[in-house]
Amino acid sequence: MKIELISVIGLLLCLLIIGIEYILHYRLAELQDENTARTESIRRRLDIHVEGVLYAPTEGSRNAEIKALADEINGDFAVYEMAVKAIREHKGTAYRDDTEAQDRLIGRINEYVDPVGMYAKMLDEGDVYHKGYACRRLAQLNAFEYRDKIKECVGGKDRDLSYNAAMALCHMGDVYEVADYLLSIENDTLYSGRIVNEFFAQFSGDRRELAEKLFEKCNKYMKCTVIKTLAGYKIDAFRPMYIEGASGNDNQLKIACVKALSSFGYPEDEQILQIAAKDKDWVIRASAVRGLSLLKTSTALESVKHALSDKEWWVRQTAAQSITRMNISPRDLEEILGGYDRFAADAMKNVLYKTVDN
Amino acid sequence: MSFFNAIRSFIVVFNYFCMAFTLLLSIIYIIQLFVSLVRVHRNYNKTFSDDFHSYIDSDNLLPISLIIPAYNEQENIVQNIRSLMTINYPMFEIIVVNDGSTDKTGELVVEAFRMHKIETSIRYQIPTQKIEAVYYSKQYPNLLYVQKQNGGKSDALNAGINISRYPLFTCLDADSRIEKDALLRLSMEFIKDSRTVVSGGIVRIANGSKIVNGELKGFTMPKKLIERFQIVEYYRSFLMGRVFWSASNSLLIVSGAFGLFRKQTVIDVGGYKKNTIGEDMEIVVRIHRYMRKNHKKYRVKFNEFSICWTQGPMSLNDIRSQRRRWQIGLMDTLISHRGMTFNPRYGFVGMLSVPYNWIFELFGALVEAIGYVLIPFTLIMGELNMFFFVIYFLLAVSLGVILSEGSLVLEQYTHRAAMTAKQSIAISVYAVLENFGYRQLITLFRVEGILKYRKLRKTWGKIKRKEFEQ
Repeated sequence: MKIELISVIGLLLCLLIIGIEYILHYRLAELQDENTARTESIRRRLDIHVEGVLYAPTEGSRNAEIKALADEINGDFAVYEMAVKAIREHKGTAYRDDTEAQDRLIGRINEYVDPVGMYAKMLDEGDVYHKGYACRRLAQLNAFEYRDKIKECVGGKDRDLSYNAAMALCHMGDVYEVADYLLSIENDTLYSGRIVNEFFAQFSGDRRELAEKLFEKCNKYMKCTVIKTLAGYKIDAFRPMYIEGASGNDNQLKIACVKALSSFGYPEDEQILQIAAKDKDWVIRASAVRGLSLLKTSTALESVKHALSDKEWWVRQTAAQSITRMNISPRDLEEILGGYDRFAADAMKNVLYKTVDN
Repeated sequence: MSFFNAIRSFIVVFNYFCMAFTLLLSIIYIIQLFVSLVRVHRNYNKTFSDDFHSYIDSDNLLPISLIIPAYNEQENIVQNIRSLMTINYPMFEIIVVNDGSTDKTGELVVEAFRMHKIETSIRYQIPTQKIEAVYYSKQYPNLLYVQKQNGGKSDALNAGINISRYPLFTCLDADSRIEKDALLRLSMEFIKDSRTVVSGGIVRIANGSKIVNGELKGFTMPKKLIERFQIVEYYRSFLMGRVFWSASNSLLIVSGAFGLFRKQTVIDVGGYKKNTIGEDMEIVVRIHRYMRKNHKKYRVKFNEFSICWTQGPMSLNDIRSQRRRWQIGLMDTLISHRGMTFNPRYGFVGMLSVPYNWIFELFGALVEAIGYVLIPFTLIMGELNMFFFVIYFLLAVSLGVILSEGSLVLEQYTHRAAMTAKQSIAISVYAVLENFGYRQLITLFRVEGILKYRKLRKTWGKIKRKEFEQ
């Protein structure tokens, strides 16, 4: 009888849970319907206001429309973002494709709406997720007065909040804080090196200063990552360091430095790249070949041609792609395609086939 | 004791075993549900501040090769490629691998995208059947079409891996659609946690949903009952099970329809296993095995916000074939990696995840099916108290409803489905109804899979699906 009693109690408990689940489900579904209806209604009204703002015949009427739009937004950041998106994506006005004009118009709307105040409130009162969101938005709005508050978030315990706050400071071009953040994560193996690349890509300040700050204290892994990242920005001041690294014995550093040097395309680096093109590491060889192809000298062309028969396919492929950008004569091309070196011919054919139409 | 009495005692004991088994499984499922609720709630909040959108135009995302193995997919293939070309991702290539189709799959792709044959060198890092030709189009530089001899889905995937250029690849079914942001979300798992080797997305049933260029545009309730039941079933399976197992890094399956893999890891483990119909599960288990054996740090993740749509089977025959295959795939993988079972060397995967799959996912179907026969039999014999039987039955059904309804709440919470409140509540009725007939039928199909394991383990069934609504 005991088991049966327990079963009955269990059953009643289950029914209670099911009841709660149904109520929850129904409430969520209802909320969703309400939300959908509300969003649709706001969108319709916003469209009218946005069109009013965009097509206003006089500045006076535009001001009136802007005020009406601000009333519609009424301090709700979601509505504000919808309005901004609508203005940016609106087709068929003078503002279309004119980002500067759009920015000016949004600036005027901001005077009435005060989005900085909205996001600042979110930064003060929100949970870690809202705080992270607010940090990024404030940075986009260039709200430098909130820099200190954002800095506080970088030092927080939540990993995502720290990341978002650091990214916000990155938009604001804060060298010291961004460098400190990157140094703080240099041993965090969870983050891929691409995070560092993204920080440099989004950084609005002086990248050279940021890199120098990092080089002062960072470990070897971070140094190599930063050098690889900087390759795309061609900062001349670091060339001596790249030359030293490319001639050194540290393989990881060598890979990074050859990649960075290759991006310059300076004739005076040819000798270093020629040596690198014969390195035992294929990653270095491939980077050097890419660099040599920018030089377009006869000696560089010879090295790239030689790389077409490299034992590593990636180097062959890189050489074949690079050589088409150099001044290769039809005779040389014929020689490669019809030659005995099948590696070279295959790599070349692959590139050539992709350059022709059907 | 007479023979009859011995049988009788055995049946009674087995009945109690069945009941205990069902209750234990339900408790495990309920734990999974609660863990998933917490995880999904956290992840949902996280998506608010998530910055993945800021990466849309970034050069710093890892480029991805989308591999589509196609065998007689003339109905869907061109439409699917066009849909994939609109996804939000800065750098990707689409590789369609025609695995010796006997229909017009190849001709349609070549014609639709004005492709021409090219010569290319292929690195056979994983051995595959011979690749006969590679096609390319200057107009669509990120599309490659590969014609190869028939060798099965795994072989086609391996050929795609060999020819791919990028460090990440995803295998996509030719009859599925991924949402625009799906790849972006999945690839962030690799950027923000460099240990990630596999990341799976959620597969949702598209029956009734209108999907245009990877975006959900509306929902009408599917006409057939089994389609409605499958909607509930998929929510339960993905939102509950996979979220739970990925939380402990012991997820054993990433759906064959949509998963993102680190290419080098897959090459290191030898690529997809041929001659198995559960290649999607097998590769993930092999990755777990390889990484743990070699003491490498790794993560197998699941992102419940990264969505892939697939057409569920619409006839009983097709669903039977599908579930049989799933069960055979599961059995094949577990047998191949039986050495991991209760092996502490494989940590949580060996001690919990693999045994769970043996006991509850594989043999669970058998126990359930035997229970369906023996319990009423015992009742007729008078060995079981009628009151107790009814209570037990209602309890089992209620536990099932709790799980299904819980998954629907999760779905409502996370994805804000295109369903209206009315439709959403209507779907929840099927969370109850599925316990009366559908669930039992699925169990029988699974048992059939186990019983026909030897005969069917190498046959790849084809399910008839309708085109996506445009």
